[in-house]
Amino acid sequence: MRGAPRELRLGITPVFLDNDAEILTALRSALQEAAGQRVQFEQRRTYEEVTGMLLEGAIEAAWLCGYPFLQHRATLALMAVPLWHGKPMYQSYVIVREGDDAKSLADLRGGTHAFSDPNSNSGFLVTASDLALKGEKAEDFFRRTIFTYGHRNVVRAVADGLARSGSVDGYVWESLAALEPELAGRTRVVTRSEWLGFPPFCTRAGHLADPGVAALRKALLGLDRTEAGRHALGLLLLDGMTAGDVSLFDGIARRMRLLASLR
Amino acid sequence: MSAILRIPLSIRVPLLTALLMVALGVVASQQVLAALDRLQDARIREIARLHVETLSVALGPHVLRDDVWEVYDTLQRAAGEGEGRRMIFTAVADEDGRVIAATLPDRAPLDSSIAEISDGAQPPANLTVPSDEETLRLVAPLVYQGREVGQVVTELDVADLVAERRRAGRLLLLGNAVATGVLALLGYFLMRRMLRPITRLSQRMRDTSDQPEQVPETEIPRGDTELSRLVHTYNAMARTLVAKRDAERRLAERERFVSLGRLSSALAHEINNPLGGLLNAADTIREYADRPEVVRRSAELLTRGLNHLRDVSRAMLEQNRLDRSGAALSAEDFEDIHLLIGPEINRQAQRLSWKVEVTPTALEVLPAGPVRQSALNLLLNASAAAGRQGRVWFRVAPDRDHLHMMVADTGPGLSGSARTRLLSSGPVPPGGGVGLRLVHDLVEELGGVIQLDRRDGRTEIAVSLPLKGKEDPQC
Repeated sequence: MRGAPRELRLGITPVFLDNDAEILTALRSALQEAAGQRVQFEQRRTYEEVTGMLLEGAIEAAWLCGYPFLQHRATLALMAVPLWHGKPMYQSYVIVREGDDAKSLADLRGGTHAFSDPNSNSGFLVTASDLALKGEKAEDFFRRTIFTYGHRNVVRAVADGLARSGSVDGYVWESLAALEPELAGRTRVVTRSEWLGFPPFCTRAGHLADPGVAALRKALLGLDRTEAGRHALGLLLLDGMTAGDVSLFDGIARRMRLLASLR
Repeated sequence: MSAILRIPLSIRVPLLTALLMVALGVVASQQVLAALDRLQDARIREIARLHVETLSVALGPHVLRDDVWEVYDTLQRAAGEGEGRRMIFTAVADEDGRVIAATLPDRAPLDSSIAEISDGAQPPANLTVPSDEETLRLVAPLVYQGREVGQVVTELDVADLVAERRRAGRLLLLGNAVATGVLALLGYFLMRRMLRPITRLSQRMRDTSDQPEQVPETEIPRGDTELSRLVHTYNAMARTLVAKRDAERRLAERERFVSLGRLSSALAHEINNPLGGLLNAADTIREYADRPEVVRRSAELLTRGLNHLRDVSRAMLEQNRLDRSGAALSAEDFEDIHLLIGPEINRQAQRLSWKVEVTPTALEVLPAGPVRQSALNLLLNASAAAGRQGRVWFRVAPDRDHLHMMVADTGPGLSGSARTRLLSSGPVPPGGGVGLRLVHDLVEELGGVIQLDRRDGRTEIAVSLPLKGKEDPQC
């Protein structure tokens, strides 16, 4: 019988969550309250780093993207999937700067493109696989690609003109449009992907029954039932959490195969 | 230049002092402004150096990895903080000069050449705050771990420094103008005050040129300064001059009395000689009272003798009285002189050639006293010089403008000292020539000239007196 760790460590990345101290504090408080245990956020810059920490057991759980989850499907297990507009689904957007007259991805050839993370579904995989469908490689199609390691950074890079276009999490872009219209308003959505599985909370496979992990999972799934949880969800513009199913990420899996076929 | 020289010293020196103060103010202002410039340049260089060093530390690893986003994000954060607000624009390029990121990507797009924006940029060591622009562009190598990994071009906002310099310049100009003005005024008035004794002295000298007046003790500057010594010297000179005038006046008086004294002995004879005859005539009248023709003849003789005595005494009285009266010169005055000199000529058994050709009206403009005294003195001198049985000449003839008076004798000529007394105003040397200085002074007062000539054993002194009134030397 494994003893419960003194604190629960949850890995997060700025790829998805902005470094907004208020949101993190609210989420942490809500989880601690519900889990009855101290929760520690472990922030890393990339999905790769956080996934690595989770796989080696340095953290108990992580808020990942569907893409890294599927990459390590055999060793990771779903804990909870956030509900956005009532669904555990989101889209990937390709955006350009306001005033740019591009109408499709094809119009962006030869420009500079901002991705968020090479292991992000919405911030890389969707655009890369769309290009793969046309037999193109992102690094050839675009004159130059840059990684900003943050969806908000992709919006900033495009809004400021550092990159002509960018691949961004639709949920993040819509949230920015509501919370920072001045920033999002300087960009325009060119294409939207199909609905795909929302970035899930994961733990290592076989650890779902660990007391700490189980408590955290329960806390996550019950966020919409506590005051603190609703407050945190409100700040995140999310509706709640669902247990979810791997099949939610079939769309992402399809795109992974598409990309792999090109390589 | 001559216009400046015409300004009195008492104004010129204070003005010069004021001008020097202004010049000093201008030079001082320039020095301070130059120092401010140097200070600002040093400050902006230090700011630029720190700025570049900070960017190098922060950006170095990202530039090495060609991490566009991190470079951009770091620049954005740097631009938003503290001293970074001075940074208007910064672009970072890699070793090949391709832009990795810029705070304003529109100005320096990714992968564009840094050369396009580094034109005209200065290296940090040479930075100077511009006088009219509010931004500075600098270019510096990006050094990380001792290796040049790229380039930074930065535009710095120096509006505050430029404004500070302008403000300092204005304040300095204003402050210096006020200080210079005050100093100039102070210098002007101090100098005027210091020079006031000189002004007063020159005023006093101008106002009292004929009779120098001493500066009162109360007006003498205190202390043993050049000025007080100058005033003391002036006072001493004034005292000497007054004493000299007094001495000369006393000398003139004495000379007049000397000539009178010499006359009086001759005149005593003139009075004494006929007295014997007159007493004889009185005895004759008493003795031959019964002989009317003898009495009449004796009475006539008595009358002639008494008349002569009356004329002689009258002439002497006139001589004294006329000295002080302003009576006009007439032909009778020359007759009086003839009468007065006669006994001396006779005593010396000399021959006097007398020729006076004057019309009564021509002489009226001249005063009798000085002319009579001059003529008498010259004649007495000539007589004394001619010696026993010598010859003496006296001529008076007016022309249209002048009265010419000539006295000549057969004497040995004037000695050096006598010549000086007669012809110059210099100090009176001791020795001969009785009354000659008095003649010189009297003729000078009348505006006349004296000429001395010696030829054929004859000494000739010619005096010309203007008939158009005295030419006042003060006018």
